[in-house]
Amino acid sequence: MRSATPTSANTRPWTEAARALYRIGIRPRFRWQELGLLVVVAIALVTGWASLESFRNGRLEIGEAGLLATYVAIVFAIHLAFVVTGRRMDQVLLPTAALLAGISLLLMQRLPQDLVTQEIAGRELSLGPLQLVWIAMGFAILAVVAIFVRSDGWLRRYKYTWAAAGIGLLLLVFLLGEVTGGARLTLRLGPLAGQPSELLKVILVVFLAGYLAENRAILAASSTRLGPLNLPPIPYLLPMLAMWGIALAIVIVQRDLGAALLYFLVFLALLYVATRRASYVVLGLLLFVAGGAVLYGMFPHVQERIDIWIDPFADPQGAGYQIIRAMYAFGRGGILGTGLGAGLPQVGDIPSIPAIHTDFVFAALAEEMGMLGALALLGLYALIAQRGFRIAATAADDFRALLATGLTLVIVIQAAIICGGNLRVVPLTGITLPLISYGGSSMLVNGAVIGLLLALSDRGVEPPPPGTRQNVIRRLGRRARGFGGRVEEAIS
Amino acid sequence: MTFSRVARVRVRFPWQRPPRIKPPGPPRVAGSLLRLSLALAIGYSGLAAGLVFWQVVEASRLTNDPLNPLVLSAARQAPRGTIYDRSGRVLAHNVGGNGVPLREYPYLVAAPVVGYRSGIFGTAGLERAYDAQLTGLISLRPGDELLRKFHDQPYNPSDLMTSLDVDLQRLGVDLLGDQRGAVVAIEPATGRILALVSSPTFNPNRVVDPGDGRQYVADLRERDDSPLLNRATQGLYVPGSVFKIVTAIAGFSSGAINASTTFAMQPEEYESGFLVNGFRIRDFPRRVQLDHPLNFYEATEVSSNIWYAHAGLVSGPQNLLDAASRLGFGTRLPFELPTSPSQVTGGDGPFGGFRDEVELANAAYGQAEVLVTPLQMALVGSTIANDGLLMRPRLVDELRASDGSVTTLGPQAWTQVLSPFDAQVISDAMRLAVEGPFGEALAGAAKVPGVPTAGKSGTAQLGGDAAPHSWFIGFAPADAPQIVVAVIVEGGGAGAQRAVPMAGDLMTYYLKELTGS
Repeated sequence: MRSATPTSANTRPWTEAARALYRIGIRPRFRWQELGLLVVVAIALVTGWASLESFRNGRLEIGEAGLLATYVAIVFAIHLAFVVTGRRMDQVLLPTAALLAGISLLLMQRLPQDLVTQEIAGRELSLGPLQLVWIAMGFAILAVVAIFVRSDGWLRRYKYTWAAAGIGLLLLVFLLGEVTGGARLTLRLGPLAGQPSELLKVILVVFLAGYLAENRAILAASSTRLGPLNLPPIPYLLPMLAMWGIALAIVIVQRDLGAALLYFLVFLALLYVATRRASYVVLGLLLFVAGGAVLYGMFPHVQERIDIWIDPFADPQGAGYQIIRAMYAFGRGGILGTGLGAGLPQVGDIPSIPAIHTDFVFAALAEEMGMLGALALLGLYALIAQRGFRIAATAADDFRALLATGLTLVIVIQAAIICGGNLRVVPLTGITLPLISYGGSSMLVNGAVIGLLLALSDRGVEPPPPGTRQNVIRRLGRRARGFGGRVEEAIS
Repeated sequence: MTFSRVARVRVRFPWQRPPRIKPPGPPRVAGSLLRLSLALAIGYSGLAAGLVFWQVVEASRLTNDPLNPLVLSAARQAPRGTIYDRSGRVLAHNVGGNGVPLREYPYLVAAPVVGYRSGIFGTAGLERAYDAQLTGLISLRPGDELLRKFHDQPYNPSDLMTSLDVDLQRLGVDLLGDQRGAVVAIEPATGRILALVSSPTFNPNRVVDPGDGRQYVADLRERDDSPLLNRATQGLYVPGSVFKIVTAIAGFSSGAINASTTFAMQPEEYESGFLVNGFRIRDFPRRVQLDHPLNFYEATEVSSNIWYAHAGLVSGPQNLLDAASRLGFGTRLPFELPTSPSQVTGGDGPFGGFRDEVELANAAYGQAEVLVTPLQMALVGSTIANDGLLMRPRLVDELRASDGSVTTLGPQAWTQVLSPFDAQVISDAMRLAVEGPFGEALAGAAKVPGVPTAGKSGTAQLGGDAAPHSWFIGFAPADAPQIVVAVIVEGGGAGAQRAVPMAGDLMTYYLKELTGS
């Protein structure tokens, strides 16, 4: 045992560094749990990579691991940024998201590389590297949001502005969207293309959290009776009916069943959390069933989805082809899976399942990692749910609680909808598996969602010492808020 | 103390409001989250159940679905197993090493059994039934599929050792010549199929030919003699008198008749016919040379329609249907090749399934709406030959995997159709039908020289001017049966004309081959 003196001598450089950081308003804070989990994640990903490369090359080796190394470096850099900035945020969410996105990178590296190619900054990138670009951008947004979002006022105060922006976005897609795969989803602005429905889900959650936090006392009390159902005053019902209408409009105009289902389920869940009234959920589901029945009767694309769901073998080479191929993939996987790289992504030049890198990435994973791997993946989403709800339960006020709940739900419910679609538990709808599916919009938005959750979990940092630069920023911020307030008033 | 407690109780009158327990304001968000978590847990459990369903419960069915591209992929990666006959002659093997190997079938006579495996038309016959084992998708070692990913060679193709005797098969084909028909030969004690001939048939080597296959199959489908149909397992024929054995089984096992059952009015009915509800059943005069009521042996020997119509009526519709269903009628037989279900009656008529007594009386000697497959009739013969115990028919004795492991598919009893004693009585009657003084005229040609032989011939009337189907089912040696045959020649005339001598030749050949002389 040594005395305390050499120890304090050893920590002197540290304290010096800490003081220097303190002077510029930063208080580093170690995040041991996160570090430990990230090390586990890194080991798991390296093992997966080695397994894939060994299978491909027929001998035990790690192969070209540049992509993986870059990814692991990004994740640890974010961890370091959290440590340096001294955030007291949840320590499980980042490793969970890192494992999900790492699995995504492995899968994209494993699938046929020419499924997607795109030129970025003069270089032609294929599936794996492209996905790394999206993941890097998504995680950058995650880090920026987690570190720099210190106040929720800008979300809380301008809920109607957000709603208007969301509806505007929707209209823009209606008017200018490109049709891909039978659905009008993609919005192209110059060289940039994206799927606004991904962004819309976050905007929706922000609006709902704001609206419900403000009005939940009224919504929870009943004053209108409709048969056996107790309902809130009619004017307060209108936003809900509007929500239902928007979901229907998305189905009809955008042909995006998955997004509509997601929005509506998130909406119902949030409404229940805010009011704890089962009658709303019942009413919502009744509306949903009624709407679904009408849509089924009126629109062939809805009808086709349901019919394939019930009996894909009615048209095995046509409409049912995709889902049958997915069933084969699940069957091939069995309990332990075929092993990474040993599945059957293509026969000849035909990919085994159309859209395997987006809508059917869960089937690809279940084939190669088996039932156990797929269950573990579901477990990761369940872990996100647990962390998110924890953040919600310990939140300072209703808005933050509902926001955290909603953000958690958009990830968890979206994952359930697409996995259920792959598994024929529910009708198949084309949405992405959050943090796994290939795609830029999806990665960016889900990165932002995790980042927001992290920001919400931050248990307060002491305000940094005042400085002139920040005062300038604050002054600008105050002016912006003044402008925003006027816009908000005008809309509401 | 007691008093003070009573005094504290407040009486609440109906017009008074209940005391408010809940604090004012909406419920706390955190409380609702628990219930929401529960809902999510239920949803995710549904997904987990879906995973278990597809990846455990349905996994092997999906993996072996012929549409599954994995089957194609496995065919590329692993050489397909070889199919052998019972003495080790190759019935199907691979030729051509580069790319996907082609199949070659050295014995064309085995086509209805072996089938084909073509890149264009998929699989048929044993190539279809054992596709997963031949490609090695299903392994013989338990747990192998689970651990496949840890093996260098993921697929473990098996060879099939079949019970087919190519020589007997070829003799059946030669005897049928260019006539349409089928032959089934079974080893009664085990259910092993020795020969399964369907004529006309196809050339599997031309079906699998990548160049000419498409045209060849198109031509086969054009032909009106259906060469792609396996008549032995899927052809449905009127059985005529061979069905009397089923009626006998029904009568004996229900106790409605026994060996000495006679029908008193029978001698007169030779002349006038047996009138059932206005329908006259007749026997051919030449068979009727006895002036007393026949017993079971005599009736079987002379193949009396009148006696069997009586027997069917006294047994009743239910007993006949029950006995038939124990023999496998009404269902697809549990067999490696696809089979058609045989039937005793076509509809669900008011008379216990039959339309009326007339239909039952006619069905009892194999007319009316009775339709059978040759395989089904061979099983009827096999039941009698094997003391009333019906064995499951099967073609494959053994699977030999490329890693050396061997799976033997032993004989499987299917149903005890009737008692050994009753089976012996019927067997004796069938022996008379071949060797007796009257039977000899009808089915004497089926006799294996020097070996006791039992059997029953049939002449299935098709109505109109169509020539009847010529039928025979029988077995030899009658006291220790080694082989059961069922033969049908479409439009071959009376049983004695074609089917009976064919069956005799087949049984003679096989028993000689078996004893090695």
